[in-house]
Amino acid sequence: MGEKKKDFRNPEYYTNREMSWVLFDHRVLSEARDKNIPLFERLKFLSITASNLDEFFMVRIASLKDMVHAGYQKRDIAGLTAAEQLEKLNVQVHELVDLQYSTYNRSLLPLLEQNGLHVVKGHEALNEKEKQFVDSYFAKDVYPVLTPMAVDSSRPFPLIRNKSLNLGALVTKKNEEGELDFVTVQVPSVLPRIVELPGSVEGRRVILLEEIIERNMDKLFLNYDIVCVHPFRIMRNADLTIEEDEAADLLKEIEKQLKKRQWGEAIRLEVEAGIDKRLLKKLKKELNIDTPDVYEIDGPLDLTFLMKMYGMSGFEHLKTPPHVPKAHPALPAGTDIFEAVRKEDILLHHPYQSFTPVVDFIRQAAKDENVLAIKQTLYRVSGNSPIIAALAEAAENGKQVTCLVELKARFDEENNIVWARMLEKAGCHVIYGLVGLKTHSKITLVVRKEEDGIRRYVHLGTGNYNDSTAKLYTDIGLLTCNESIGEDATAVFNMLSGYSEPLHWNKLTLAPLWLKQKFLYLIGRETEHAKAGNGGKIIAKMNSLCDPDVIAALYEASAAGVKIDLIVRGICCLRVGIPGISENISVRSIVGNFLEHSRIFYFANNDSEEIYCASADWMPRNLERRVEILFPVEKPELKEELKHILDCQLRDNVKAQVLTPEGNYEKIDRRGKESFNSQENFCEEAAKKAVIPAEEENSRVFIPQTHHE
Amino acid sequence: MKVFAAIEVGSYELSMIIFEISVKNKMRKIDHIRHKINLGSETYATGKLSYEKVDELCKVLKEFKGIMAGYKVDAYRACGTSAVREMENRDIVLEQIAQKTGIHIEILSNSEQRFVNYKSIAAKGEEFNKMLEKGTIILDIGGGSIQVSLFDKGTLNTTQNLKLGVLRLKERLDHIHSSTSAREVLIEELDNAQLSVLYKLYLKDKEIENIILVDDYLTFFVNRMIGSDEGRYLPVERFKTYLDHFKEVSTAEIAQQMGMSEDNVTLIFISAILVNRIINLTGAKLIWVPGSNLCEGIAYEYAEKEKMVSGGHDFEKDILDCALQISKRYMGSRKRAETLESLTMAIFDGTKKMHGLGKRERLYLQIAAILHDCGKYISMVNLGECSYQIIMATEIIGLSHKEREMIANIVRFNHDDFKYFDVLSKESAIDRQEYLTIAKLTAILRIANGLDRSHKQKFKDVKVNLKDNELVLTVDTKEDISLEKGLFADRAEFFKEVFNVQPVIKQKRTLY
Repeated sequence: MGEKKKDFRNPEYYTNREMSWVLFDHRVLSEARDKNIPLFERLKFLSITASNLDEFFMVRIASLKDMVHAGYQKRDIAGLTAAEQLEKLNVQVHELVDLQYSTYNRSLLPLLEQNGLHVVKGHEALNEKEKQFVDSYFAKDVYPVLTPMAVDSSRPFPLIRNKSLNLGALVTKKNEEGELDFVTVQVPSVLPRIVELPGSVEGRRVILLEEIIERNMDKLFLNYDIVCVHPFRIMRNADLTIEEDEAADLLKEIEKQLKKRQWGEAIRLEVEAGIDKRLLKKLKKELNIDTPDVYEIDGPLDLTFLMKMYGMSGFEHLKTPPHVPKAHPALPAGTDIFEAVRKEDILLHHPYQSFTPVVDFIRQAAKDENVLAIKQTLYRVSGNSPIIAALAEAAENGKQVTCLVELKARFDEENNIVWARMLEKAGCHVIYGLVGLKTHSKITLVVRKEEDGIRRYVHLGTGNYNDSTAKLYTDIGLLTCNESIGEDATAVFNMLSGYSEPLHWNKLTLAPLWLKQKFLYLIGRETEHAKAGNGGKIIAKMNSLCDPDVIAALYEASAAGVKIDLIVRGICCLRVGIPGISENISVRSIVGNFLEHSRIFYFANNDSEEIYCASADWMPRNLERRVEILFPVEKPELKEELKHILDCQLRDNVKAQVLTPEGNYEKIDRRGKESFNSQENFCEEAAKKAVIPAEEENSRVFIPQTHHE
Repeated sequence: MKVFAAIEVGSYELSMIIFEISVKNKMRKIDHIRHKINLGSETYATGKLSYEKVDELCKVLKEFKGIMAGYKVDAYRACGTSAVREMENRDIVLEQIAQKTGIHIEILSNSEQRFVNYKSIAAKGEEFNKMLEKGTIILDIGGGSIQVSLFDKGTLNTTQNLKLGVLRLKERLDHIHSSTSAREVLIEELDNAQLSVLYKLYLKDKEIENIILVDDYLTFFVNRMIGSDEGRYLPVERFKTYLDHFKEVSTAEIAQQMGMSEDNVTLIFISAILVNRIINLTGAKLIWVPGSNLCEGIAYEYAEKEKMVSGGHDFEKDILDCALQISKRYMGSRKRAETLESLTMAIFDGTKKMHGLGKRERLYLQIAAILHDCGKYISMVNLGECSYQIIMATEIIGLSHKEREMIANIVRFNHDDFKYFDVLSKESAIDRQEYLTIAKLTAILRIANGLDRSHKQKFKDVKVNLKDNELVLTVDTKEDISLEKGLFADRAEFFKEVFNVQPVIKQKRTLY
């Protein structure tokens, strides 16, 4: 049979994950380029592309470089070696950066100008009054925090800090001929990058801090003549441990070759376009970096300052009005959460619906005298989290409080350790993660002694217990006191506490032990249905799709006739439209105001539909190296809600981009169709549903910027 | 409603189950916490437990204590099984644990442990009774030993303990390098001696349809294979396909498939071979894996005590059935035993105020009456001593070692001179309280025996009347009882000594 011969794992059928990531950042960038979006929102999107790219370098490019150094020859899902990937990425990332800056220079700057905000490009363009202002600002506020450093025969090249913005200059000793020396000074991160200039009639004017320092460079190196000054920025393969994304054999390989690994080596150098060639040569030599890794930037380095610009007051009319999450109809402010959950299971759709009930769930549990225990996994928690405060209070009230604090959550380690210690002091039993595994599952269990016995209340979610990101990330949460789920939840925490796995699970499926098998089973079941002539349908929404086993199973399903609609925000290694392989698969990505973060999985199962939510993506790291939870949503009303969510996302023709067989993402042709923006639609629906006006939101509250996954 | 914690310190696992027990909802499992710790391998091999293991045990028990506090449990019971039992220095270790953790671990004798396990199955109610309609074996596989209990026509026929526990077998196999396929043969060689005796003595002419399997590992495996929803009945043919699978696929591969460690897979394999051996011996057709465990039995006992569960299976009857089977094996006279039973019970019940003993002691007396003459199978002269030895050497399910020792003593002193505490305490660990119980029950058994001196069951109906310092035994019989009356004084002497009450016989001749 021809069927059997199909090789669903042929590398040609797959897209390299890093390339796919670049496409994702392009999609974010296309939001910054979208004329229909308020100007300041566009600034924000551009800023996000920049911070995304920084993270990409630190984590992914660094990892590829490690592989090259270790001589690791294994090919990726698309059949590329690390060196080949780096080569291709180099071209693509350069293109991406060029597009970032052309967006900034050609679209955004002129528009800002039109709207009364002028960004002074160079200090030379300042008027007299402004020059005086910046000089006195420099003397008073900037100079004291600068640490100028010179390089000469007695002083070696200084350590340039990862991700920091610096000014490099070539100088000559005053009244001496010849020798060019290198000097450098870091643009202090403690001072605002954007400096607003004193009022003028035409509108507001701002200049960037590095320009002010550049103007006053001579004051830092008094005995020298400044020949040229240019900003530069480097990215290092710094003290990051090997990413969990990589295969175990790579870890071994790298351990073996530990000596060869070049700690802290520079992997990217950004310099101002038109930099003095001598200065660039010096930098490249000292930082030991090759031309492909040098980015000559036509504009200010490090565009993340645009997030700060977004925060400038006075331009509210150029921003989308802040979104205020609405109350869930069953959970108006002041509800007894336990009572409400006893009545019915509750599905929360954030950020359209407020996250407050989840916080209240723990707050109320902390105070409730019938509550015996609270157990929770914490992955990324906001600073000053009300959840942490409630947990501490619960422990002080004599409840058994167990929390698993994942210290390995990227970039958050230090923050996490501080409040984990605080919880311990309050009497909580704190588990600092599991050896070799990241605990990414989001689950809370409240054990309550009630008249008719012990009852367990469980919250399961697709997103972190983080009240600030819950306003920006779209996520699903389920509150239930279903006995089977309660039993499983207890077992989850026993396992996380180091006890043996339960004898059996009722409803939940956990990674890394069982989840992948479960997904493969669910997909395979659709394949069987399709083969039996009963059709087959899968709709899956997630952040990333790059697990080869899952993709192969999807190809097999598609080949058998299963209709598969995927909503994948970020990386997608699956390709669509391959004849005989993936013709029945569609992939779309939604990049909007809110970060799509929920993971929802629908399986038609021959008319007895099953819908699940999970903390996991279809990525090897989620399925194999993390503790993740998949939970079914079984109440018919709630299943309808989830189906509606998927349905709206599939109908979206404003923010959705569809993957083409050529491997590009394209916006949907709306001609003749009514435009439909799923995120906006959810906002409206939530507002309609909420009987009682939303939680009171203080508009003076700043929204802290957070990392995006 | 009560919250109860049952802790089992097993051979390879320390586990705790939190139960919520109420009249309405019976027993509801709230939490099941298991910690893997191999105590068996050490104690079976060396008789001692290493310091590291003791520390680990304490650490986990302390955590258990915290969890119990979390659930605000009303009571707990912690029981140690064979690994603890076989520790030479168990008392020292248990005292250490009690000091460090505040948890007192009680050592269950084998027969108590099996009985509790058996209760956990019986707690399943209907399903259990249904099984017993046909010949059934309960196969209880532990780390140190296995217990085979045979049910015939709904009653317990016999129960035998064989030192063929999975950990013990694994220990021995580990010293012999062998392939998986060779293992089956090796295990057969190891177990053959014991199993063939079991077969010859007890199973040969029984028709056995069902096997009820109680263990940890194979149960886990079966649950995985069947899925928990389908019920846990396993036709023998299906079981055999699983076993074949084990033989064909490497241990490592199965470990991968099942998501468990290779060590555990080996234990499952050994269990499976043992089950297969029993299947081959008996020709059983169906295996039931009730998935119960010792903790459930412990909780069931607690629930019984708190009167939160009732009805269901009559466990006392099982114990008595077991005693009857022993009596039968040693050719005891059924008729005489019945007479003695009814006489002792009548006296016991009529003198409650005098002896102040309870229901459990009544059971001892009843068993003592049933087994009073088992020793004559060996020697008519040395009846007392031989009976004592037989009882001491025979397991009676549901009785602790101590209880069995008390019964053996009661039977012995029925025939031989009574040994007072100073002497008795030198030869056994019996304490003063137990000694007094022995004395009281011996006194009652002796006069009952005296009433039936002629073994002709003349005293079938006796009325017991306690008046001041006299115990009047009124017999309604037309037969001549001068023999009994004449020799009664001798028998009554000890009774008088123990209770300071004089037993007297009165004959009432009903005139027809």
